[in-house]
Amino acid sequence: MINNLMNTTGKQSGHGKYDRRDFLKTLGVAWLGMTCGSGLLTACGPKPQGAETFIAKASDYSIDIGTLIRAGFRELKVDEAEIKGKRILLKPNLIEPPKGAIHVVTHPGVVRAAAEAFLNLGAAQVIVAEGPGHCRDTYMILEESGYYDIFSDRRITFVDLNYDEWWTVPNAGRATKMKSFVLPITLKQVDWIVSMPKLKTHHWTGVTLSMKNLFGTLPGMFYGWPKNVLHMAGINEAIIDINYTLRPHFAIVDGIVGMEGDGPIMGTPKKAGVVVMGRNLPAVDATCTRLMGIDPNKIKYLSAANNKLGPIKESFILQRGEELKIVKTDFQLLEHIHAYRGLRLT
Amino acid sequence: MISDSTLNICIKAIQKRQQSDGGFTEQEKGSYRPDSTAWAALALSRAGITGEIVDAARLSLTNTQLEDGRVCMPGEPGAFWPTSLSVLAWKGSKAHGEQQGRAVRFLLETSGKHWKKGTDSPVSHDTSIRGWPWIENTHSFVEPTALALIALEISGHTGHPRFQEGLRMLMDRQLADGGWNYGNTIVYGKELYPFVDTTGMTLVALAGHIKREHVNKSILFLKSQAEGYRSPLSLGWALFGLGTWGELPKRGREWIEESLKRQKKYGAYGTSLLSLLALVSIYQGEFRKCVV
Repeated sequence: MINNLMNTTGKQSGHGKYDRRDFLKTLGVAWLGMTCGSGLLTACGPKPQGAETFIAKASDYSIDIGTLIRAGFRELKVDEAEIKGKRILLKPNLIEPPKGAIHVVTHPGVVRAAAEAFLNLGAAQVIVAEGPGHCRDTYMILEESGYYDIFSDRRITFVDLNYDEWWTVPNAGRATKMKSFVLPITLKQVDWIVSMPKLKTHHWTGVTLSMKNLFGTLPGMFYGWPKNVLHMAGINEAIIDINYTLRPHFAIVDGIVGMEGDGPIMGTPKKAGVVVMGRNLPAVDATCTRLMGIDPNKIKYLSAANNKLGPIKESFILQRGEELKIVKTDFQLLEHIHAYRGLRLT
Repeated sequence: MISDSTLNICIKAIQKRQQSDGGFTEQEKGSYRPDSTAWAALALSRAGITGEIVDAARLSLTNTQLEDGRVCMPGEPGAFWPTSLSVLAWKGSKAHGEQQGRAVRFLLETSGKHWKKGTDSPVSHDTSIRGWPWIENTHSFVEPTALALIALEISGHTGHPRFQEGLRMLMDRQLADGGWNYGNTIVYGKELYPFVDTTGMTLVALAGHIKREHVNKSILFLKSQAEGYRSPLSLGWALFGLGTWGELPKRGREWIEESLKRQKKYGAYGTSLLSLLALVSIYQGEFRKCVV
């Protein structure tokens, strides 16, 4: 179940061509340099670890997900020295109530395991935060999704980003014409932003993963329900702008049961059996799309992010944990959905 | 509907959110919000709180009203969705007749972005029917349209073409089982899910203007769902939707009490949610009586 998880040498990485040292020497530091300088919430995005992603197999939600996440932390060198005393924001995808379906929103078990893993590394505080994109009744979403048990641990709190106090920052990306973003104040008060999406197809953008998930950080009070301001500005461009502006620090993707077909709401469950993690969101999303049998170069926002926010080419991503080819499973792409045409990885 | 003591607790909690300039915050120590202020003004005035507290709240709404009549989120003129709520809060206040009139004119002159749908459009709703958006330069959605219709109705504009078009827009967005969601019906051939809060609010807006036979399934949907919800937004609007059509559940009072108790689990409800539950309780679910 957790083969290779204890490997920290990098020699069993997905593509197997470099070890960690060689890889970072040739690639990681170089492109990271390009990402620094315009971040507003942190002076510079992820610490110089290169674009590494980690895949763990996870058969279902009853397993010890915390063990997987802790193993991912070790592989990706997320340790106590880095996390101790930090305020961590976990941003799941809670777009609308799941109606008993486990393939719509990020599973609470994954969020709880991540929260506990950060707390075990000495995080001062873990905040679960979301501004649901379709539904205004966040209490109901949390109830229906089974999230309230998470908050029985008083070190873990919830913030509704749709209605949080707010501040305005310039749009650092400028892929859209939006000059600024109104953001929840909580984003300013945390040290780490961790995107925790569901592994899903999306009928407008092809896939919705860690970068698209950040739409949910923008308050409905200023962007509406759905966040139609971003749709009107250009969904793919808005994804780039938000990621440029927020500079998220980490991603943990719930791919244990994902969604294929007509995502992000009306698709069907897809048991992919994985948790995917990484410090660089484009690299994580590119890994996820390959895992789904989708070519990341054909996903507009990933193509736009390439070499600006991070690498998406397979040869530029050091794959740790499970090998991609072992866990790859084609997600259904419906022919009648325009955004899916030509996406299949060949 | 709920006990006087419970109602008093709600009202006192709302009053604690009033700032020195008369405006309200959603939570204690928060920033001024026009939507919270409008809801608080409605709830407090209907709970028998008169005089300076409510007058100051209504006056503070004028601070975020722009010349063209919109009432917007502070510093963000495009976020004008609190305009309809402000009309409700100003209703009956002689001192704010001019502001109410300007807000109504703004609503009548404003719509979402609309277009004639192409034959290959993946969405099934009629994108050309004008309603109201949450935010400027975006499409019209169900909740802001429902609130705008209520604001126009109490201001005497039910004969206006925009009012009639708004009714058409809401009916166009009705889902097959009768419910409504934020405003998409069928996308790529698949019908989306209804939401309880949105369905309740829409039923309030349609009451008196749409024949019951056209919303019977909506009422049935809401009746089948209401008992299962204790979150304040869904429960409050479910009871208003049902109460407005004479179908208030007998156990509604019990459900509101249960919802209020959930603050031990959820944390203190915001001003707008406490106001919603107070109003539904005071007026036995009949929303029109709150705002007329």
